[in-house]
Amino acid sequence: MSERPVTVLIAALGGEGGGVLTDWIVDAAMRADLPVQATSIPGVAQRTGATTYYVEIFPATNAALGGRRPLFALYPSPGGIDLMLASEALEAGRALENGFVTPDRTTLAAATHRIYAVVEKAAMADGRFDTSHIIAAARALAKQPILFDLTRGAKTREMSLNAVMLGVAAACGALPIAREHFVAAIREAGIAVEANLAAFDLGLTLGEKGVPPELLSVDDRAPRPLEAATQALIGNIRAEFPPEAATIVEEGVRRLADYQDLAYARLYFDRVRRVASFDGELAACVARNLALWMSYEDVIRVADLKTRPERFAKMRTEIRAREGEPVTVTEFLKPGIDEVSAILPRRLGAALEAWGERRGLATKLHLTMRLKSSNINGFARLWLLARLRRWRPMSHRFAVEQKAIEAWLDAIARTAPRSPELAREIAECARLLKGYSDTHRRGRDNYRRIFAGAVLPALERGEGGAERIRRLRQAALADPDGFALDRALAAQPRETAKAAE
Amino acid sequence: MERSFTKEVALLRKGNGEMFEGEGILAITKGLLQAGVSYVTGYQGAPVSHLMDVLSDAKPLLDELGVHFTPAANEAGAASMLAASINYPMRGAAVWKSTVGTNVASDALSNLASAGVIGGAVIVVGEDYGEGASIIQERAHAFAMKSSIWLMDPRPEHERFVDLIAEAFDLSEASHAPVMMEFRIRACHVHGRFRTKDNVKPAVGKNHMLSEPDFDYARICLPPATYTQEKDKIDNRFPAAIDFIRRRKLNEFFTGAIDEIGIICQGGLYNTVARALAELGLADAFGTAQVPILCLNVTYPLVSDEIVRFCAGKRAVLMVEEGNPDYLEQAVNALLRKADVNTTIVGKGVLPMAGEYTADVMLTGVGRFLEGAVPRGVDLVAIGRRLAQLEGWKSEAQRLIGAPVPKRPPGFCTGCPERPVFSAIKLVERELGKVHVAADIGCHTFSTLPPFNIGNSVLGYGLGLSSAAGVAPAFSTRVISIMGDGGFWHNGLSTGVSGAAFNGQDGVLVIMNNGYSSATGQQYLPSTTAGGARSPTATIEQALKNMGVKWVRPLRSYGVGHMVRTLREALTATGAGLRVIIADGECQLANQRRIRPLIRKALQSGRRVVRTRFGVDDATCTGDHSCIRLSGCPSLTVKPNPDPLRLDPVAHVNNDCVGCGLCGEVADAAALCPSFYRADIVQNPNAWDRWLARVRGSAIAWLQRRSDAAHAAA
Repeated sequence: MSERPVTVLIAALGGEGGGVLTDWIVDAAMRADLPVQATSIPGVAQRTGATTYYVEIFPATNAALGGRRPLFALYPSPGGIDLMLASEALEAGRALENGFVTPDRTTLAAATHRIYAVVEKAAMADGRFDTSHIIAAARALAKQPILFDLTRGAKTREMSLNAVMLGVAAACGALPIAREHFVAAIREAGIAVEANLAAFDLGLTLGEKGVPPELLSVDDRAPRPLEAATQALIGNIRAEFPPEAATIVEEGVRRLADYQDLAYARLYFDRVRRVASFDGELAACVARNLALWMSYEDVIRVADLKTRPERFAKMRTEIRAREGEPVTVTEFLKPGIDEVSAILPRRLGAALEAWGERRGLATKLHLTMRLKSSNINGFARLWLLARLRRWRPMSHRFAVEQKAIEAWLDAIARTAPRSPELAREIAECARLLKGYSDTHRRGRDNYRRIFAGAVLPALERGEGGAERIRRLRQAALADPDGFALDRALAAQPRETAKAAE
Repeated sequence: MERSFTKEVALLRKGNGEMFEGEGILAITKGLLQAGVSYVTGYQGAPVSHLMDVLSDAKPLLDELGVHFTPAANEAGAASMLAASINYPMRGAAVWKSTVGTNVASDALSNLASAGVIGGAVIVVGEDYGEGASIIQERAHAFAMKSSIWLMDPRPEHERFVDLIAEAFDLSEASHAPVMMEFRIRACHVHGRFRTKDNVKPAVGKNHMLSEPDFDYARICLPPATYTQEKDKIDNRFPAAIDFIRRRKLNEFFTGAIDEIGIICQGGLYNTVARALAELGLADAFGTAQVPILCLNVTYPLVSDEIVRFCAGKRAVLMVEEGNPDYLEQAVNALLRKADVNTTIVGKGVLPMAGEYTADVMLTGVGRFLEGAVPRGVDLVAIGRRLAQLEGWKSEAQRLIGAPVPKRPPGFCTGCPERPVFSAIKLVERELGKVHVAADIGCHTFSTLPPFNIGNSVLGYGLGLSSAAGVAPAFSTRVISIMGDGGFWHNGLSTGVSGAAFNGQDGVLVIMNNGYSSATGQQYLPSTTAGGARSPTATIEQALKNMGVKWVRPLRSYGVGHMVRTLREALTATGAGLRVIIADGECQLANQRRIRPLIRKALQSGRRVVRTRFGVDDATCTGDHSCIRLSGCPSLTVKPNPDPLRLDPVAHVNNDCVGCGLCGEVADAAALCPSFYRADIVQNPNAWDRWLARVRGSAIAWLQRRSDAAHAAA
């Protein structure tokens, strides 16, 4: 049984260079005079789908075999893979799921960064797959797991993954091919030779010495740690709040001072204090949602954020503009009646909003603005808009939001002592409020329907209802058209009748 | 074609005793030339596009040999070209993707098979079945049987492929029937090697002209000749084929020590069978198995005495036959019964009736066969233990991962010009309600997948419009049909448009004019301009007008707002009739392939180049992902929210962005969100650019300082 082909399965996404990696391995094997076969199933997968390449190498040279020809298979078999190369975390998971990684023989080299599948991206809230389980499964089931995340390093991020993979393959000991053949294969291909050789070297290090801590994978879904508050704006937050909530409250205070002013931050602090004595998780949840709600997005906020120096600096990095390269930035703004009435003084704003609703224009009448924020003219317009901040507390939307916030907080404060679970569910409903324009309108309507249809009845009854609110909230996030929420609300007619009141 | 295949063409030139190293489909192409083929035709499609692409680039070589190559307008055209072999001693080959291509070709194929051939006629079909397939799952087998076309399913090894292609021509000529050779996806893409032979110049062809046309009424498909032809199939061609297959030993017998059992397999599955046996300790690395194997390189017709000889004296034989119906298993059972051989045939009992026979499936199937047959000298306990161990590891992985890993179906490429059309349809549906969409074959079929989920039926290539004709009258709102330019020229113009115009069919047709047959590898079409490099032989707009379509609106596909307005108009305008929107936008893959080297060169020479891409301000994005649901662009993705207070990931444009502009168009047309921005980066800026940037920069910085001061004061 020692004479059997060494097998390599490569899982990649279309357009990621899995074919080139396969060609390199095949070329290296041929240079070593080893019989080799490779196949793939590109098909439609070349259009961004998941795809695989499969290589078999016989560990005895053609010369030594004389005329004998090993039999190569076209399909990878579960339990039969010596080296599994996965270009992304989910693809490593797929390989595990299909039984291609087994403790008796498989070296699994996987890049564990994330390229999200459409279903993950398109979710209305957070649809990202929990890849920490994939990492755990990889560690448990691979004979030799080599898991790394190149996107964590500024330099490694730029390296071509397939060349790194080739280095790992060359160094991990799974293939019967000497290193120089891989190098020769890269040189022979003649494309980006130096860059690929540098990436190959990194791969060699990963395969030989293991993955350094700075390239170990991190859970993309884990919440980011909050930086310690640089200044305590108000009192001693840490002493007053449970530890889970304290950092969030600090962040909230900072956010609202930045959003409006110190007085508004103080209002936030006073509000959040009402739940300070509650269970830490609940307090944290309220603190988070309250800060976000109070810093609702209006055109003033957008203009403010879009005119800040740090925004332009960040953008330049993101779009990879080099030093000295001028950048023209075009903003796509399309304010409608909602956006305008939001920042008008109370009465005027309310009147405009009511008129828009009456005439059915709220979702129809929009003003298309393509604004060049890198020009003096365009920037100045945004800048002026941002300076309306001072008048925000007098605006129509400000009044509407504060009223809704108070109602929400009251509901939480009333229920928390007897049912923290219900209070938590009510608090989480604020997560539905986000976005702009139609998105915001949809979220707000959903929130209002749930508040009227489930929260208020629960308050009246004084018990139960947490489960129903959770279900409704999930339904609201299930589809953008609100079908699921309609169905969920209709599920209990008695309460729907109340919602209609 | 935008790609060049010079390297591959060089492989086709190899002569006697040289080593060929390359893909299976290329070996097949080489096999045709070595067999003295006189003409080659076909229609592109995975997994056999490569044959067409390489021959398109091999004109000098083909001219030297006197081989005529022409891509057909569709598979029916390709099959029709084989008519040359009916009257003349010309070897011809046609290639396409099956089963769909065979469907399109079937009219011509039936007539070809009825008339019979003098010159060898070989049909190479890429059997697009199983993982990686893009079409309906059916086998070519039934076609072969019903038309008396012989079907080969070669054992997957380059040398065997090439030898059997020569045999296929001989078989065709010996039996006067066309021969179909099927190659599965992995076999087409397999990289292997073999020793080549010299290419053979065809006896009749461009360099050796025919002197006069042949006329023989017996070759015309019209009664009474058709009756004679049917009889000829049975009386002469079939026996001739059987005799040839037996004489030339096209099927292979592999002996084995455990001869109370055996395995009969389709040639294409031989390696999978041998590997499964090796995994179970019953074969070595060279394929020498302890269980006898009959490898059927010809799966139709079956040579009964070969089957009987193999099965006689065996208690049980496993019939490994992929797909359904189980023609081979039924045939083997029937002919053993007739020969009064009592061997038990096991097939679909242990192997699945439907689906691809992957290594996994084969291993389980062979394992179950052995467990049932209980042959002497086989350690069934060890086999059972191994199978259980593999299953255990798999379920352990699934348990640890916790939930099925999300599927990653194919989708529109970054910057694809077809995506905006579906964004527009989604937006129109918000206003007018859901619309029935008759989808078509092409890249645009991906609209049926998330995030668009648009398209209620798919009936075939170019059949989008025809497939709306029945359902349209049953809706009070108009129905939208989709067609690509590939589908339009393949079948859509004649089957769809002419009929719809003639019958006054009321509806909306959207034609994706991306300039190529893109899904199959950007092959040229009559209307291809290749960014101005080619003058089209016909335009879609003119063709539509000539068919009598009055309402035709060509427009830029990326202008979502304009597209929404035009769709709305087409859907709601009064008066019946066909309304056609031509969505113009070049295939981004082809476009990028062409412009990238030009841009690189311009940058290197220091010329001013403006690079455009889009971005999302993560500070203003609230993580609702409406934009993603309206676009699905691979470069529009999500990333962890940098805001410590927010939990939902934010939208993010990665560096694959080609600046097509859809994000901005959608954000505008759907009044989505102010987070998108467009950045035009001036590379190699000139003095004016630099001066302007400096002035703007200092003015903006001055304003920024003032707002900082104001905020600090507050």
